[in-house]
Amino acid sequence: MKDLIISELSQALHDLQIAFAHYLPRLIVMLILAFVGWAIAYAARMILRSILRFIHFDRLSENAGASQLLAKAALPPASEVVSRFVFWIMLLGFILLGVNVLGILGLQEQVGKFFFFLPRLFVALFIVFVGLLAATFFARAALLAAVNANIPSPKVISLAVRSIIIVFVLSIAFEELGIAEQTMLVAFGIAFGALMLGLAIAFGIGGRELAQSFLERRFVRAKKEENEDELSPL
Amino acid sequence: MADETFLTDDFLRQLVNVGEVDILIGLPTHNNAKTIGSIVQTIQGGILRWFPRERAVIINADGGSRDGTPELITGVSIDDVRRDANLHALRTLHSISTRYGNSPIETVALRTILAAAELLQAKACVVMSPECSIESDSISKLLRPIRGDGFDFVTPIYRRHKFEGLLITNLIYPMTRALYGLRIREPYTRDFGFSGNFASDFLAQQSWDGGSNESGIELRLTLAAIAGHRRICQTFLGDREHIEHRGADLVPALRQTVGTLFSAMDADFKLWSATNGSQSVTTEGPDHEVLMEPLRINRKRLREMFASGVAELAGVFQQILSPPTLAELQRIASLNEAEFHYPADLWVRTVYEFAASYRKSVISRDHIIQSLAPLFRGRALTFLVENRNAAAEEIESNIESLCIEFERQKPFLVQMWKARE
Amino acid sequence: MPLNQDVLWYKDAIIYQVHVRTFNDSNGDGIGDFVGLEQKLPYLQELGINAIWLMPFFPSPLRDDGYDIADYHSVHSSYGTLEDFRKLLDSAHERGIRVIIEMVLNHTSDQHPWFQESRSSRDNPRRDWYVWSDTDNRYKGTRIIFLDTEKSNWAWDPVSRSYYWHRFFSHQPDLNYDNPAVREQMWEVMRFWLEMGVDAFRLDAVPYLVEREGTNCENLPETHAVLKELRRRLDEQFPGRMLLAEANQWPADLRPYFGDGDEFHMAFHFPLMPRMFMGVKLEDRKPIIEILQQTPEIPPTCQWSLFLRNHDELTLEMVTDMERDYMYDSYAGDKTMRLNLGIRRRLAPLLENDRRRIELMNGMLMSLPGTPIIYYGDEIGMGDNINLGDRNGVRTPMQWSGGWNGGFSTAEPDRLYAPLIQNPVYGYPAVNVVAQVGSEHSLLHWMRRIIDVRKSNVVFGRGSIEFLHPPNHRILAYVRRLGNEVVLVVNNLSGAAQAVELDLRGYKGHIPIEMSGKNIFPRVGDLPYLLTLGPYQFFWFRLRRI
Repeated sequence: MKDLIISELSQALHDLQIAFAHYLPRLIVMLILAFVGWAIAYAARMILRSILRFIHFDRLSENAGASQLLAKAALPPASEVVSRFVFWIMLLGFILLGVNVLGILGLQEQVGKFFFFLPRLFVALFIVFVGLLAATFFARAALLAAVNANIPSPKVISLAVRSIIIVFVLSIAFEELGIAEQTMLVAFGIAFGALMLGLAIAFGIGGRELAQSFLERRFVRAKKEENEDELSPL
Repeated sequence: MADETFLTDDFLRQLVNVGEVDILIGLPTHNNAKTIGSIVQTIQGGILRWFPRERAVIINADGGSRDGTPELITGVSIDDVRRDANLHALRTLHSISTRYGNSPIETVALRTILAAAELLQAKACVVMSPECSIESDSISKLLRPIRGDGFDFVTPIYRRHKFEGLLITNLIYPMTRALYGLRIREPYTRDFGFSGNFASDFLAQQSWDGGSNESGIELRLTLAAIAGHRRICQTFLGDREHIEHRGADLVPALRQTVGTLFSAMDADFKLWSATNGSQSVTTEGPDHEVLMEPLRINRKRLREMFASGVAELAGVFQQILSPPTLAELQRIASLNEAEFHYPADLWVRTVYEFAASYRKSVISRDHIIQSLAPLFRGRALTFLVENRNAAAEEIESNIESLCIEFERQKPFLVQMWKARE
Repeated sequence: MPLNQDVLWYKDAIIYQVHVRTFNDSNGDGIGDFVGLEQKLPYLQELGINAIWLMPFFPSPLRDDGYDIADYHSVHSSYGTLEDFRKLLDSAHERGIRVIIEMVLNHTSDQHPWFQESRSSRDNPRRDWYVWSDTDNRYKGTRIIFLDTEKSNWAWDPVSRSYYWHRFFSHQPDLNYDNPAVREQMWEVMRFWLEMGVDAFRLDAVPYLVEREGTNCENLPETHAVLKELRRRLDEQFPGRMLLAEANQWPADLRPYFGDGDEFHMAFHFPLMPRMFMGVKLEDRKPIIEILQQTPEIPPTCQWSLFLRNHDELTLEMVTDMERDYMYDSYAGDKTMRLNLGIRRRLAPLLENDRRRIELMNGMLMSLPGTPIIYYGDEIGMGDNINLGDRNGVRTPMQWSGGWNGGFSTAEPDRLYAPLIQNPVYGYPAVNVVAQVGSEHSLLHWMRRIIDVRKSNVVFGRGSIEFLHPPNHRILAYVRRLGNEVVLVVNNLSGAAQAVELDLRGYKGHIPIEMSGKNIFPRVGDLPYLLTLGPYQFFWFRLRRI
């Protein structure tokens, strides 16, 4: 009995040794990859940070309103966030590569899926970023136009414009990521349609006076104002 | 010149036929058929009367008129002028026209006229806007300083209603004066005279590639004249009657004037940061005259637009103005009509902070300009109230003290400029 | 060479205006004479001249350069004898050159025997031959012609103690054409010369023959009646002879002098001449075109007479005040050059001795509709001497050579009737016939060539004119046409090179042949015809359809 256990143990140890010897090089490779990956990712982070500083990315993100969001979330400035994000992604990528080398089957498939997913993730993030920029810009433009045309509730209009654009952008981003695409699209469609319908009802029925004075202002404005100040600013 | 092919072949052929000239009159037009006939006759009469020996040409740059304006210009016969005014024409007087596009763009119109001036080696040029009626001696008043006294740039002075042109009197004139050191009453003007020399330089210096260069070229011309140390003078042209009421849109006006000025400040920083105080400019005739007719003005509306602007645009202003300034504005916005007062020093500070923010493009530059509109309305209201019953001299002295305030706070602007570097 | 027998010979004429006194002195007394002129006829023939117009050579006290006549039936002794004149006539005719002489109808010298008699007493038979008055108030408002010297048109005669009328100098009393005897006498004078062989008269100062109260005493119907009568008799008794009117008037006022082809054959086109100078200075064809478009049609047998300069000042009477000021400032900056509303300078000095401009002006002279008159000396580009008083600066001796007295006379230089031009630019050593004959490219040779081209083409003298209006106003372009002969003339009035596109649609398919070199130019097509011209250059093209 004792001999059986010993021989089994030594067999098991032997198997383990073989398995270890089998996997050890790969493990070492994986570690090397991880290490190299870390170095490259670090370098990439530094470079990217300089590039982003150079193109005044922080200012852009300030314009987009992204900086405010990050600040609220107690995150570092945008360029820092982006470069760190890239760092971690790259590192993760190298580690996964290493894991791939290990040759563990199920893991390989997941690794593959991850790498497929990566580009779309970047694109989606980019879309969101640009979308935020656009939303801020157009919201402000709408606000200014409404204020200067003396239309009541300019903030509401501005918020509406911003919301529409953000919702639109998000739905595209989600579509890009492939996450609940249909749901998002439909939700956006419903929201947008509802908004339009609401406005139509408001203008047509409930907001009759508002619509009336708005139209009056648009088309009768010239005549009315001629009786009052006919001042040219230039 | 950037791109010579923007002159059409047909126009070039007409220029070849005209040949070298001494005087060039530029007329940018767009659908001015109702009035252009008499304007051209007045111009021709002026040339016959005061410059009979000079070789002259009228160049019409038309922005896609659909009412036959160009044909009216080239068709005005000099014989009608001669008969009516009993004048004799020694020389052929040319009138030629070119269509530079399908919609009126001041920059392209002026560029066309400047290019023609250079190609025809014109010594003295005048641009007249067909929006306002002109006197028969306006041509002479704008040309004589150039032809006779060697000036490079002549701006007009008008007799206007005391409340017309508030954007000029409350912002453009004082700020240009404070920054560039010259007291030019109408830095933004559609009627002006210039030497051929200056035209060539301006043509060469400007980048004409569109984009932000689409408006405000008239102001840019004035600033270029100052920056280029050209000899500038002003001449009194009398009444300025808008014969076509084209609307009093504030935002486009702001773009053309304030936007242009703010843009120019960047390039001209060295010049204006080194200028101290201001000097007067040679002036022919009175340097200010106002009409004092009473006018009904909707003060309530102005105050409302100011107050609602300050409230609604608070978020935007936070990015543009310093907190104390914004707080002050919010305080004023809460005042009722009787107490409302937008003092000069606050106004100057507001404008300067806007300029500095514009430079840094804290938000889109065009949005910065647009957001100035309600604030300007508040300032306009204060000016109207202050001068409601004032005599001409008092108004003039109020404007003068506003100018002094602009000059006084200039170091603050310079500091802000340098800080935001 | 026999005379051209065509009744309309004057339409093809090239006239040379000369004063006998200035041309050539044959007897060494310092004054030119008929014999001298006769000796130089070969020169004129070679130049291409076929008519000479002689300034007044009748006996005269010479207080108005011979226009004050003391005897209508003789010649001034300084110039020779009547026999010398006859010989000159015959020689000229032999060379195919006609002779035009001056006939001053309006007035005589106060030294004329007629006036001596007229003034002697109020009862003298010739009293009424002149215009007398007891007061100087008659014919008020009549303009004074010699503004620089005369203050009134009336002069006081101490002999008969009354006023006499004179439109010109006070020593030139006006004849009274209301008197039939005067009219008869003047025809008789003309007939005297016509019978001798004279081919034509230049009738001086014709607008002023008759006076009437309440008018400006110019161009009156009565004056025209007198002239028509003279013409009638001329046609009757001497067909083929010609009358040339000197009337410094606007074209519209000149028209009556042609009548219906029953008054004058020719008249000077005075208003055109200053406008040609103006056009070149302004570099603008406007003044030239305007005056020619205002020029009325004349009867088919009549002809305008064109000239650039003459013995008088370049008159600026027929221009507006503004134009006159411009001409003064441009051409006579020195005020001493100005005289009697005109400029007393020769062609070459006026054009600053610019060969190109001289050629351009002569080219226009030869190609515009009318008979050209060349003032003596202008064919070699003679200069003037404004220090000689009145208009004598342009009446200096002809410069034949660089030798003694410029080849004009063998007399001592001090004896010459007037000093020669001496300065280095225009003086006789520099500007003279001999030198220019010897140089292929001299102005003289050029004049010969262009006169030759002009004479070879009848269209210039007899054809119609149609102006082209190219947009380039520095170009004066016109088409001369006679039957099938078509000539296109293009002149660049500017001192800079020019490009011009001519609308020659009516001549599509024609080939332009440049008339001096005879080279062909590209054929006229559908597109505007592009020509480029150098400074002051001009082209004459025959448009030939082959």
